Amino acid sequence: MDKKILVLIPCYNEESNIVTTVEHLRATCPEVDFLVINDCSTDGSAALLREKNYPFLDLPVNLGIGGGMQCGYQYAVRNHYDVTVQMDGDGQHDPAYLYNIVQPVLDGACDMCIGSRFITNEGFQTSFMRRVGIRFLSGMIYLLSGHKVLDVTSGFRAVNTRLAQYFSAHYAIDYPEPEAILASSLVGFRVKEAPVIMHERQGGASSIFGFKSAYYMVKVSLALIIDRFSIRKQKGGRP
Amino acid sequence: MTARLQLYMILGAVILLAVIFCLLKRGLMSVKYSLLWLLLAVCLVIAAAVPYTVFVLRDLLDIQMPVNLIFLLMFCFVLVVLLSLSVAITQLAEKCKRLTQANAILEKRVRDLEDTVKGGKQE
Repeated sequence: MDKKILVLIPCYNEESNIVTTVEHLRATCPEVDFLVINDCSTDGSAALLREKNYPFLDLPVNLGIGGGMQCGYQYAVRNHYDVTVQMDGDGQHDPAYLYNIVQPVLDGACDMCIGSRFITNEGFQTSFMRRVGIRFLSGMIYLLSGHKVLDVTSGFRAVNTRLAQYFSAHYAIDYPEPEAILASSLVGFRVKEAPVIMHERQGGASSIFGFKSAYYMVKVSLALIIDRFSIRKQKGGRP
Repeated sequence: MTARLQLYMILGAVILLAVIFCLLKRGLMSVKYSLLWLLLAVCLVIAAAVPYTVFVLRDLLDIQMPVNLIFLLMFCFVLVVLLSLSVAITQLAEKCKRLTQANAILEKRVRDLEDTVKGGKQE
């Protein structure tokens, strides 16, 4: 295959998972490049990445997942990758399904393809409360943009060069997944979903729990509404 | 208002002006952010030197006591300053983010370059 594919793996205090994730990816898809983005981890992640000699970006200050991913997109644009994939470093996303989301983008069927748990409803489905939250955000994105996306918080997604270019300039700082969907569909990019099976995280703790979930919902909902007003909708034509 | 109180108020306003000027001179505050404060200091000097302006404003806004007008204006001023600070912080955070990202990408390029140089020497 002559197309260049880059897998971005965000890493914040993931020393217990990152090696397993990377080795799994290497074993499953040896032909794709990958790049770990170490968002100024406070554990031994950076030393581990250096020791294993993985390609990684080392952010000197903690930017949050959005700032880190944006940095990855800048790297992808700089190095002319055809498809850029986001994949979590905690083992939730299975590289076996990588081409489920990469292929539609390679074929030009869409600009962004999201790996979704809720099309076939197989595999790990997350807790009931989270599903309610995801359903709510999904409805909101449908109201604001007219695009139906089921798994709006999924961080397993592939984008083409033009959308990577857009993301390298515009990307939300924290909790960016739903916002990125709304922004790209408002600007005129085509967003699609493909069924994948996800696993429960292998170790470490999720970044969103308890009181933070309420903050997450409020912040994301508000950000979505503001995006609707600040991003000019471009019907039909793409930028 | 007694003449003595008026004197103290003018003095206070002038001291504020002097402090702002001093900060500007030492480069501790940029001119961009000093404009709001200078405006406040000048308004205070005027209000203290010519209290008649406050009475006119009170009549225009139909507020009973002139002092309440002063409180209201001060509160509004503080709000404007706080808002402008939030805007400034957001801009700084955005610039800081860009710098961090550019730095991280550069750091990777340097690391890769070092590795190739080392690899070349070993051969």
